[in-house]
Amino acid sequence: MFSSLPEHFRAYGLKADVRTLLLLRKAMQKELVKTLGDIHNVLKGIIVKEPTDIGPFTKAYYAYFLHIPIEPGQTLEDAILRSETFAKWKTQFLDEADRDYDDEELVNTFLDEVHLTSYDIKEIINGKEIWDQDNPDLEDSDTAMNDQDTERRDLTKMADYSDLSLEELLERMEKVRQQQKTRHEGGSHWIGTGGISPYGHGGAAKNGIRVGGQGGGKMARKVMGDEHYFPIDRDALLNDNNVDAALASIKGVIQESAFEKLDVPKTIKSGIKRGGLFIPELTSEKNEELKVIVLIDNGGYSMAPYVRSVQNLFRKMKTRFAHDLETYYFHNTIYDRVYTDERRTKSITIDQLLMHSKDYRIFFIGDAAMAPYEMDSLSIRTLKSIINKFKKTVWLNPEPLKYWPYTYTIQVVQQIIPMYPLTPAGIERAVVAMNKKRSEGS
Amino acid sequence: MAETSFWTGSEKYLCDPALAQAFHMARTLGMPLLIEGEPGTGKTELPIHYANDRGLDLEVFPVGSKSNVEQFVARFDHVKYLRDSQIEILNAQREEKGLESKLTTGGRNPESLKDYVVKGPATIAYEKPNSVLLIDEIDKAPREFPNDLLYALSHRKFIMPESGEVVEVSEKDMPAIVITSNREQELPTAFKGRCIYHYIDFPGKETMEKIIEKHHPALDEKVVRAAMDVFYNLRRLGLERAPTTREILNWLKYMSEVAPEEAIKKINGLQGIGVLIKTQNDMEKVNRMIGADDSFYGSNLN
Repeated sequence: MFSSLPEHFRAYGLKADVRTLLLLRKAMQKELVKTLGDIHNVLKGIIVKEPTDIGPFTKAYYAYFLHIPIEPGQTLEDAILRSETFAKWKTQFLDEADRDYDDEELVNTFLDEVHLTSYDIKEIINGKEIWDQDNPDLEDSDTAMNDQDTERRDLTKMADYSDLSLEELLERMEKVRQQQKTRHEGGSHWIGTGGISPYGHGGAAKNGIRVGGQGGGKMARKVMGDEHYFPIDRDALLNDNNVDAALASIKGVIQESAFEKLDVPKTIKSGIKRGGLFIPELTSEKNEELKVIVLIDNGGYSMAPYVRSVQNLFRKMKTRFAHDLETYYFHNTIYDRVYTDERRTKSITIDQLLMHSKDYRIFFIGDAAMAPYEMDSLSIRTLKSIINKFKKTVWLNPEPLKYWPYTYTIQVVQQIIPMYPLTPAGIERAVVAMNKKRSEGS
Repeated sequence: MAETSFWTGSEKYLCDPALAQAFHMARTLGMPLLIEGEPGTGKTELPIHYANDRGLDLEVFPVGSKSNVEQFVARFDHVKYLRDSQIEILNAQREEKGLESKLTTGGRNPESLKDYVVKGPATIAYEKPNSVLLIDEIDKAPREFPNDLLYALSHRKFIMPESGEVVEVSEKDMPAIVITSNREQELPTAFKGRCIYHYIDFPGKETMEKIIEKHHPALDEKVVRAAMDVFYNLRRLGLERAPTTREILNWLKYMSEVAPEEAIKKINGLQGIGVLIKTQNDMEKVNRMIGADDSFYGSNLN
């Protein structure tokens, strides 16, 4: 069941796989899932692994379970207001409402229902009867159900279906999820009619379950008010807004750690001196320092917009970590020298650059786009000498990934130096690659 | 049976509902809860207050830059082992020479290896069903530490070094494990995959009022409001190191010792602001701001 869930969430850049489903299943077995809001919270705990995941997760969740797509730049509120799901829900809700609601109230009520969790529910009635009445294949038969449904719909009600087997539940949920989309179906399978039960017409649960507690409402409102739900687009190019996100990942470039360990030769030596009484001697292995050289292409129009944010990024880095950070500049590619100032007036030769200890890690930042003749054999040799000398080298490219295959020089450079897009996500991957122990070579 | 009932906080500790739910979910599933968030948002407090409130045993493992899985699980005390075996030899020699006095091994027997196993917090917690295990600031650990924990977390089993003794816990007796991180480094994906993740948001004014209420119940409302105004204004300035919950609580502690009127005066005069501002740069920035404000309104941050 929900077999399309991992794939769907992965499309939003989240990590979801079979284990996600297994955990969700386990959570259901342990009765952690009773409402749609519960599914949200459980999946969030399982799938979200850092604050920046929360935005994509919210998008994925709304699209998958509620068929509410959130376009880039759109707020959740807008997305809800424009969605068909909300329109359906609204019609039904207003039918029974005793007064007028404005948009904000409606969205709030909608969110309250969507995010109602089982923690908000104090009392539960037997859902088996409701189960039997509820037909998931129901097409457009609201009339049948609504005849007796005169009672005010109330957030404080929901049904418990724990008598049903897990398989039945899952099957039902999956079916309901898919049907939410179909035109003839009222939105009420998931949401609406009396608290949200993922397992059927919540409205049928009118025999009453009392809810108290912490109020799903507040939580729901929080979803919208919280900046983390709509964080910076991680695949957008680096700018001042997302520089911090990128920085967070650069922090991943770490030092190798120190260990205390038994110094065998020293122990033996001093033991012999003591006439055979061996007292262990400890020694600590030294830290490897984190040293970084940044080589920035600051020539040409294409790079101009990025230089500042890139520098900003590394300046922030420098204030946060006490380590060596050196910056050099070049134009398009490197021949026999790199420049020490932004205006490229003072330079050092490549030999001087190569005299740095091999412990340095090198970040190239440039679009690698130039006339093919500029990438000559001297330049290629220089790039190769850099990658051979230093421990780790990556190239960060601000050019959108989709254009890479069409630029000859990017292709060439990419073959020499591992290249990543200059986006927070790209930097993160570059850092991960840097942290991997070198498997081959020196 | 491990404690899996829903816990919403105690008298001293205000637990955000979302956090309470994540914590409950983690305990129910027998998985560790990984909490991230700004410093001073009460990450470490959660397990401490939970254990306190429920009367459970708490094991704490503060992670440092040299932490390794041995300290966490168990290590074999080679030094003592070597010492004791040397003492045995020494005692035998003394006996040969007819000397009475003997050196003691403190009840340990070099023949029995498990006498030399020093158990770490993880093993102790695993041996006590229903306990709480806090792994504090895991982001301070060397890169390989979280990876080394993977086995323990997914198999619920430790093998003691040298003695080979196995410490195992069933899924339902799993201790409540809480791991905190300040995100100073990215944790390995595989590690995060084994945890329930929760990010603590910085508390809004409403929540903050409640938190302050819990810590300083006697404090005058006006004092609290004045302090919070300054506090949230400072947070908005985009300082290098924004003041956190812990710091406003400390500041108010200092204020609670004087009369309300005077305290308000002190707060508006930004006295004791060193508690809130942590770096020289930030201090300069704040001073500049106050100066700018003064020239316009003749007042300070408020």
